[in-house]
Amino acid sequence: MEFTGAIREAKKGTAELVVLAFLDDEPRHGYELTQLIEERSGGALTFNFASLYATLYKLEERKWIQGRWVEKAGQRRRRYYRITEQGREVLAAQRKEWLQFFQLIRDLAGVRYA
Amino acid sequence: MPDRELRHWKSLVRERADRDWRELSLEVVDELACHLADLHAAALRGGNTEHEARQAALDALNAASFLNLSKRPRSRRGVGYGHDVRIALRQLIATPIVSTVAVLSLALGIGANTAIFSLVNSLTLRALPVKAPHQLAILTEDAPIATDSWTYPIWRDVRQRLDLVESGFAWDSQRVNLANGGVTEFADAIWTTAGMFDTLGVAPLVGRTFTEADDRSGGGADGPVAVISYAFWQRRFGGAADAIGRRLSLERIPFTIIGVMPPDFFGPDVGRRFDVALPIGMVTTVHPDRSLDQRDWWWLSIMVRLKGGVSVRQATDALRAVQPQVRLATLPDWSPIDLKQYLEDRFTFVPAATGNSSLRARYQRPLLTIMVVVVLVLLIACANIANLLLARATARRHEWSVRLALGASRWRLVRLLLTESLLLSAIGAGVGFLVARWGSQLLVAQLSTQTNTVFLDLSVDWRVLAFTTGTTVITALLFGVAPAYRAAGVAPMEAIKEQGRGPGAGASRLSLASTLVVVQVALSVILVVAAALFLRTFTKLATLDLGFDHDRVLVVTMSAEGAPIAPAQRMAVFERARRAVAALPGVHSAALSFVTPLSGHNWGNRLEVSGGVALDDSRRSALRNHVSTGFFETYGQRVVAGRVFTDRDRDSSPPVAIVNEAFARRFLNGANPIGHTLRRYPVRADEAPLEIVGMVGDAVYRRLRDPVPPTVYSSAAQSIDDLPTEEFNLNVRAASRSSALLTRSIADAIGSVDKDLALTFRPLSDQISASLTQERIVAMLAGFFGALALLLAGLGLYGVTSYAVSRRRTEIGIRMALGAAPAGVVRLVLSRVSMLVGLGVLIGAGVSFWASQFVATLLYGLEPRDPVTLAGSVAVLSAVGAVAGWLPARRAARIDPAEVLRDS
Repeated sequence: MEFTGAIREAKKGTAELVVLAFLDDEPRHGYELTQLIEERSGGALTFNFASLYATLYKLEERKWIQGRWVEKAGQRRRRYYRITEQGREVLAAQRKEWLQFFQLIRDLAGVRYA
Repeated sequence: MPDRELRHWKSLVRERADRDWRELSLEVVDELACHLADLHAAALRGGNTEHEARQAALDALNAASFLNLSKRPRSRRGVGYGHDVRIALRQLIATPIVSTVAVLSLALGIGANTAIFSLVNSLTLRALPVKAPHQLAILTEDAPIATDSWTYPIWRDVRQRLDLVESGFAWDSQRVNLANGGVTEFADAIWTTAGMFDTLGVAPLVGRTFTEADDRSGGGADGPVAVISYAFWQRRFGGAADAIGRRLSLERIPFTIIGVMPPDFFGPDVGRRFDVALPIGMVTTVHPDRSLDQRDWWWLSIMVRLKGGVSVRQATDALRAVQPQVRLATLPDWSPIDLKQYLEDRFTFVPAATGNSSLRARYQRPLLTIMVVVVLVLLIACANIANLLLARATARRHEWSVRLALGASRWRLVRLLLTESLLLSAIGAGVGFLVARWGSQLLVAQLSTQTNTVFLDLSVDWRVLAFTTGTTVITALLFGVAPAYRAAGVAPMEAIKEQGRGPGAGASRLSLASTLVVVQVALSVILVVAAALFLRTFTKLATLDLGFDHDRVLVVTMSAEGAPIAPAQRMAVFERARRAVAALPGVHSAALSFVTPLSGHNWGNRLEVSGGVALDDSRRSALRNHVSTGFFETYGQRVVAGRVFTDRDRDSSPPVAIVNEAFARRFLNGANPIGHTLRRYPVRADEAPLEIVGMVGDAVYRRLRDPVPPTVYSSAAQSIDDLPTEEFNLNVRAASRSSALLTRSIADAIGSVDKDLALTFRPLSDQISASLTQERIVAMLAGFFGALALLLAGLGLYGVTSYAVSRRRTEIGIRMALGAAPAGVVRLVLSRVSMLVGLGVLIGAGVSFWASQFVATLLYGLEPRDPVTLAGSVAVLSAVGAVAGWLPARRAARIDPAEVLRDS
């Protein structure tokens, strides 16, 4: 699915939320994140891989997530990211904010679930 | 192999990052590479082929922008210089031809500069490797004809009267013969007073040095002693510890070795190195005819160490205060006029931190000239490289605008370009350094002749390093600033719009490039003129009519020194040796002579000729030689009038002389000299006059450059002028083969007459060639660099013209489509080339015209502003310019208009 116009703009702002949300369950590495996002969005959301890492580094800088090199048996050494307490608080706040935003749009623009 | 796979992706990530000018920490590179490797692996698992899988990962990489990856929390270094160097290195590798040409021209340019500088350094700048060299001073004099040679009595007197001096020594460098008769084997010796070691503050590596007690005729308690150099110790004794105490035969006298000096000590003379140091007192044992008390034996150099805090000026003043006493106590046996001068000439000390050197005065100007030449070559190389880089810079304008548009600072662009230049320069300097090591050693080897081995300490010191580093940086700035300046002037996005096709930027680069070409051509003209002047000088000297035929003549120096032959018998022994050699098969003729031409030795007197013209005292000098029968035949010297010497000219017969034409011109106004008599001036009552019986053609005597001096030949068989007879030369002309092949049979023949004579062989042509050493080296270097300059200028011109043609391709295509003939196109291109060359030649010729006066003393037989040389150089440059311009012009004329129009 190709987004255009408003949605495309909005997508940029949601990257951080999406990454934080996927890390909420368990620590993941970058490649895993891109695969998950693509899979769960049915291919609608894709990350340019360099942008994904740019986002990860930004979040790490803000101490919302923390990266760590892990070497698992029979696998390549990978950097796993896990969400921090601070990150969880941000995620919760953002979720709440988005929920309120959706409700507002629903009321104002008459957008409803199909 | 996962590791290899990862490395592959890492290098691609880094390359991609460079494109965005992002420096990524190792961790980030690892992470991104890991991601791509995962992508690749997943695609393979998904059933893709290896090619497809790789392409998928590559697509992801290419689609990515790394711009947001710049400010990484884990990379705190900012954008480092290491990154610049990496990018620069990739740039250089990406354009291998440009880089190779640049590195090679730089290696030659910087290498040549370093080589010549290291010679200048070791000859004139480097301090002697001794204790506190700045306290050393050498005795010279302030006089119209100054000497720095002194007699032993002067040294003895000076030493006693000096208070401001801590210590001092007198020395002379000579060759001594190691062989006991037969063919000689020479070692370089220093005859020195015992004070040398203390004054210079050098301690022996092994054993001891000699003392005052050893410094006397016959030697001290240990008999004759010698101190040897480290190199001689290694060469002769293989560094054996028991060399101390061994005997060494020098001039047939056994010397006991008492010490070895450290490896870096080469003595007080710069330009030579000693094998053995001998006490000066022993000189009379080796040369029994000599006496240290002789007041007319000018052979010693004198060096002193000043007391702490005493200046050279103060020491000079102190010495001048006692000068009258010293002079009066050491009066030589001279004419009153000369004695007056002797008393007046003022002693002067000069600083001697850099040692004593006869080479210095001789080679200072040639070296300086060559230094200027190599600097010019480097400048030309710089102009060439600047042009190459400018061309590349234009090609990269697009890239730069993008970088600027994406937020790179101008300073960063400039820094990157200067890094590239510095890297090029540094690589060039690295290769150049090797060129220099090799080149300077080669040059020093060229300076050596059979009789004089030149040694210069060429080890790298801080001056050479500083010079090379400085040259490298300046060079990089010279050729790097133009492209960097160009980069700084790029407007963001401007060049993107331009797409490298419009005339704007290209045109301005062209004008800068043209200026550089004009500079190059001008500098090349100067170098070519210099090369032509020196080459012509050398050719003129090398093909000079010597007045004799030097082919197939072998000079055999026979020395009776130390041999058990009574002095009165020596001439008879030499004459018997001559006859024995003359009788050998393959020998055309053999003759004795006291002096051989161009040997560096000479002998002369002031003379008075009966019926001659009135002359000033200073113009009465004539050079003398003492020769046997057959001399003029052996040398092929022309007999103009009268006769040559015969066997009838003996001690008992009336003394006779033969003069040359220059003599007749000077003393007799060109009149026939036969029948006139000559005597030494001032005339001594007890001396019989010599009757002139013949006149021979002029022949070179002392130096090729000097006009042939008035020369008087006396008969060696008539003992005249108390001639020293320790040594005489036997000149042998071979009948047909090379004279060198006769060496063995001549040595045997002389050995059969007297086995104790010491023999040194030297072809006359070697002697002549050795006298041209300086001219040969200057001509060789100037010729080489002149040719190099021509090549570089040709390349530069070709490059700029080709570039101009490629930029004007569309224009030329349109012109041709509109009916311009190929000849017209060639004219169009060549007119531009000829303008550049013409301007360059004009400037170069002007500068050469002015600058050539500085090399006047190095020239022979032509004026510094020699019109033929200047015109020839201009012609050569124009020819090179024509070829360099014609090649691209021809290409321009072959442009297919249809193709051009389709493309545009």
